[in-house]
Amino acid sequence: MQNKNGTNASRRAFLQRASALSVAGVAAPWAINVAAMAEASAATATDYKALVCVFLYGGNDYANTVTPYDASSHALYQSYRPNFAHSRAALAATALTPTVAPVDSAGFQHQYALAPNLAPLVPLFNDGKLAVMLNVGTLVQPITKLQYTNKSVRVPPKLFSHNDQQSIFQSSSPEGATSGWGGRIGDLFQASNTHSTFTCINVSNNAVFLSGNTAVQYQVSTSGSVPLAGIKNALFGSTSSSAALRTLMTQQRSHVLENEYNRIGKRSIEANEVLTSALSSTPAPKTVFPAANNLGDQLKLVARMIAAGPTLGAKRQVFFVSMGGFDTHDGMLTNHPGLMTKLGEAMAAFYAATVELGVAEKVTTFTASDFGRTMAGNADGSDHGWGSMHFVMGGAVKGKRFYGTAPIVANGGPDDVGQGRLLPTTSVDQFAATMGAWLGVSNSELLALLPNLGNYNASSRNLGFV
Amino acid sequence: MEKIGVAEASRFLAQASMGATREQIARVQQLGYAGWINEQMAMPSSQSRWDYLVSKKLNGVESKNSEAGHDAAFWKKMLSSPDTLRQRVTLALSEILVASLSGFNASWSNFSSAAHMDLLETHAFGNYRSLLQQVSLSAPMGEYLTYRGNVKVNPTTGALPDENYAREVMQLFTIGLVQLNNDGTPKLSGGLQQETYTLDDITGLARVFTGWNYDMTGTDNNTPDYKRRPMILTASRHDTSAKNFLGSSIPAGTDGLTSLTRALDIIFAHPNVGPFIGRQLIQRLVCSNPSPAYVARVSAVFNSDNNGVKGNLAKVVSAILLDTEARSASRLSDSTFGKLREPVLRFTAWARAFKANSPTDAWAVGNTSDPGTRLGQSPGRSATVFNFFRPGYVPPNSAIANARMVAPEFQITNESTVVGYVNYMQTVVSKGVGDVKADYSALLPMADVAETLVSELNLVLVAGQLAPATTNLIKGGIDSMPKGTEAARLNRIYAALVLVLASPEFIVQK
Repeated sequence: MQNKNGTNASRRAFLQRASALSVAGVAAPWAINVAAMAEASAATATDYKALVCVFLYGGNDYANTVTPYDASSHALYQSYRPNFAHSRAALAATALTPTVAPVDSAGFQHQYALAPNLAPLVPLFNDGKLAVMLNVGTLVQPITKLQYTNKSVRVPPKLFSHNDQQSIFQSSSPEGATSGWGGRIGDLFQASNTHSTFTCINVSNNAVFLSGNTAVQYQVSTSGSVPLAGIKNALFGSTSSSAALRTLMTQQRSHVLENEYNRIGKRSIEANEVLTSALSSTPAPKTVFPAANNLGDQLKLVARMIAAGPTLGAKRQVFFVSMGGFDTHDGMLTNHPGLMTKLGEAMAAFYAATVELGVAEKVTTFTASDFGRTMAGNADGSDHGWGSMHFVMGGAVKGKRFYGTAPIVANGGPDDVGQGRLLPTTSVDQFAATMGAWLGVSNSELLALLPNLGNYNASSRNLGFV
Repeated sequence: MEKIGVAEASRFLAQASMGATREQIARVQQLGYAGWINEQMAMPSSQSRWDYLVSKKLNGVESKNSEAGHDAAFWKKMLSSPDTLRQRVTLALSEILVASLSGFNASWSNFSSAAHMDLLETHAFGNYRSLLQQVSLSAPMGEYLTYRGNVKVNPTTGALPDENYAREVMQLFTIGLVQLNNDGTPKLSGGLQQETYTLDDITGLARVFTGWNYDMTGTDNNTPDYKRRPMILTASRHDTSAKNFLGSSIPAGTDGLTSLTRALDIIFAHPNVGPFIGRQLIQRLVCSNPSPAYVARVSAVFNSDNNGVKGNLAKVVSAILLDTEARSASRLSDSTFGKLREPVLRFTAWARAFKANSPTDAWAVGNTSDPGTRLGQSPGRSATVFNFFRPGYVPPNSAIANARMVAPEFQITNESTVVGYVNYMQTVVSKGVGDVKADYSALLPMADVAETLVSELNLVLVAGQLAPATTNLIKGGIDSMPKGTEAARLNRIYAALVLVLASPEFIVQK
């Protein structure tokens, strides 16, 4: 059994990539390109940059997050969800004043306001550190409403299914995908990090987003890596038993499941020794993160890892954090505002921490989710949709702006496929490519790591928000 | 009949119970596999989770918004109920027909969770169609998948029926997303998988689940009783227009209960149900990657028992456990066979093997969800309706993925959980958790001789599957430890337990 992790020699990394491909045998076409191009990219990453994905599990309700605010759009919005719409008065304090007004396909200029509980993000928007991506979603290629109706253009499989659309957003494939675009970015850059293990770091639950073809997702808890008690101290007084424990948990196995389990155990034990030392020797950011906010706890650990980046020899990192509870079929008014509070406070604190650390321009954070939801509600919630609104935050972001095309507020209108389920006008691939390019991924590499990106005109692949 | 060996019996119990014990090993040897299954299925149910909560006086209005007792009620059953096969199947069903504490309304969420699990247990050896009916009418599921209080299309406000249950009852509880062959493989057309339903099917089916709400007759919400009464229909809130889905139609004007029953009949008639549910039950009990032939044999039983009835779970469970693929010793040398033992079953294996008991009936194991310090999984506490892990989960960038295998339990396996679990068990085996402590009296006489001690743990916990090298490694550790006093013997037992519970042969059930 090969063991693919725990190395940092680039030559060895390259050989492992080749090895991984030969094992896979059936590797997708982009995998070959990724491996072939990896070394060139790796050599160029000498500065530090990090990408942070904030995944909102359950499918965030776009309309109560980035809410139509101009009088006519708001009136429609309210008519489609009379029991759980934000009033215009409640939105006044979070109304956004972008440098360029977003326009829909009919030329109408829209105004938007953030959910009232996202107030902590408004100053970031006004300072140009936050941008809003309009109607982005999973797509195979550009599609019009007519093409959707006539089924004349391919759409992603298993639309509206949580687990599959989570996977497609993260990896371009439904559940069962074996690598995600965050991890594939990691493939390109891990050789430039002293410790390749600390390239793709998950402070949440397992997510295909962070697994590459060779880059491995490394998971840490919100308090850092977990040390193994039985080897930290002699196991019930027995150093010999401690040694046996370490061997049992890290040895190669001929059984496929056993070996994969031990591969994780080995990485955990070895990485902990490096990471615990790096974190303990690095002062934690003083920025106050919100209390009783698990997303805040996760982002605080990300900030601590970024602070320890120089000690760890990190040049490029991709992080994944998440929060759940966004499947708001009911109780929108009772549940969604609290989620927005946690999201807004955690993101704002994280940005402040990157400023404190002097890396605000080096860290770009974005939100993602399974899908958007319906505009037309049921009695007290909304149902599974498609396109959605997302945020991009960071010192390098060209903020105070909207990107993409404003959707026409409607139920069965030109921009939705019924009940205000938005037909995406921007693809996740374009969204991802823009951030990948910022990290230093070349255009040809982007085409390799985002299999559907080639279905877009070269001029539209980079959305320019960062 | 050839006598079943102790290791074979222990292996069977790893698949069919909450954990092997010396007593159950002997019972399997005495009765044979089928005889043991029959004995287990005939056992009466133990005290329900609901009644446990009531016995702790948690049904008083002062406890209305408390979760107290939830974990204890679940753990008590898992650790001590004599109907160990029923408990195992109930756990399996609870990972398919998922509802969980965090998704219930705050009032009496502990009772909602107990009622849901009790319902699954009641039907564990019953009929899947009946279970589906009862679950669909149950107040906890109505809350969890948000169709309780669901309204029909409102022409004034434009409100539409909530689609949540319509979607998940098909995607997760019955037919899944793609058309299946009887052997569980996807049906292909032009090389492509065929989806089972469209958005229109969801919209059509959602109309069925309208008008249902709590039965509050003669009661109020200051007692939890309404949580275990089937929901009742308010006819005026039910959508009586025609409901079209899955190529069938329920005519306009059909009453609510008839609509729901017909809808479930239509879904249950779908040829996917047998392979979809059968394969998942195999994955919960025996192995992650059953062969298509194994799935086909189980599907056939699901589709028609001896009497031609579809959905007979007792027969399905028997078929799964008695199948040659589950029983054949040849699978032990297959480096892809088996399944990652899910963390709660690792814990119950220890607890059952050494008679962990709660002298005060408090069963204070608590919430074991924390991945860094506990099990990273806790009964009745899945984060979403998608369970702790998905049947189709593939660990990315792994030899498992390269081999085109799935490994559901790896979804909750990462650098924190592999270590957090061992740390947790190190404390648990030596100190217990809460008032739950093991009884090592049977092990103490063996503890001075490492070989005897490790051999006993190997048999009960690992069905004798520890490789000789592993046994030697563990034995070497224990041999280095003092002996001769009770304190020394206990330390040897604790260390040996941690090592066996951390061994790859235990972690992967085969």
